[in-house]
Amino acid sequence: MMERRIGPDGRDDIVTRTLRRMYAPPVDVGYWDSLEARIMARVGAAEDVWWQPYGEWVRGGLIAAGIAALLAGGGLALASNAEAHVAANTILETPRELPQQIATGTTGLSAHEATLRYVLEP
Amino acid sequence: MTSVLIAMPCAPMADLTDASATPARVRERELVLAAQGGEREAFAALVRLHRQRAYAVARAIVFTHEDAEDAVQEGFLHAYKALARFRPEQAFGAWLHRIVANAALDIGRRRKVRAAESLPETIAAPFRDPAEADELRRRLEQGLGKLGERQRSVIVLHDVQGFTHAEIGEVLGIPEGTARSDLHHARAALRKGLGDLWSVER
Repeated sequence: MMERRIGPDGRDDIVTRTLRRMYAPPVDVGYWDSLEARIMARVGAAEDVWWQPYGEWVRGGLIAAGIAALLAGGGLALASNAEAHVAANTILETPRELPQQIATGTTGLSAHEATLRYVLEP
Repeated sequence: MTSVLIAMPCAPMADLTDASATPARVRERELVLAAQGGEREAFAALVRLHRQRAYAVARAIVFTHEDAEDAVQEGFLHAYKALARFRPEQAFGAWLHRIVANAALDIGRRRKVRAAESLPETIAAPFRDPAEADELRRRLEQGLGKLGERQRSVIVLHDVQGFTHAEIGEVLGIPEGTARSDLHHARAALRKGLGDLWSVER
């Protein structure tokens, strides 16, 4: 059986010592330099665009531009619809009247006479 | 190696969070500002300053050295991406440790380690002293595996890495009192698992 000491703060000496061995970090400086190099390689891979430091601004700008494009598109669509509506109304509301000359010129004539007058008239 | 604290020449977190403008703090702030301006060398210097402490945080949360490495890399990468949002008047170390802790917690969740049976046989495999592969160590590994993730992190951060209750609360995002209580329960649980190994002498 092992002798066991528990300190006033409730820490068990043997257990703590064993835990520290179990969780001991690498002591080789080369290991830490290698870890740093791996971290920086990942940072470098993530930083593939020159504006990375301004990423927040760029993101904000892109979002604003997207919203502006949506609004502009919506506005254009509305304007286009209104124009089409007006054009349709104009066509529908225009009375279907034949030109006076044709309307009066053919009244009471046979097809043969009408053709003859059409050809002979200046 | 006699202890982790001696092997890690890092300032305690309390120094890093101290509002007084120590030369180290001023230097760190300069590095942060330079890194925020896009200087990668400045960020590399910050990595150099905090890599060991960040590893200690990650190692307390995950089960293996390899997962701790992954968490440190993920944490630094997240920190780099979020650097624009960091306010230089904050303590960089505390901010970074929180990010690393979250990365480690994510890895832990992904691993879905639930039972002591699933614990890797070599909890610190690459740096294991063969002489320590004894019954106590085996029991401790089992005991740690049975603890909840938070209690395990708290006992390792406190008893192994030397963090204070307040620092643990900051890193894990829990109240200081909860860290204190978790530590008490974690120690009690480990002792229970080791009960028949020795007779207690106080």
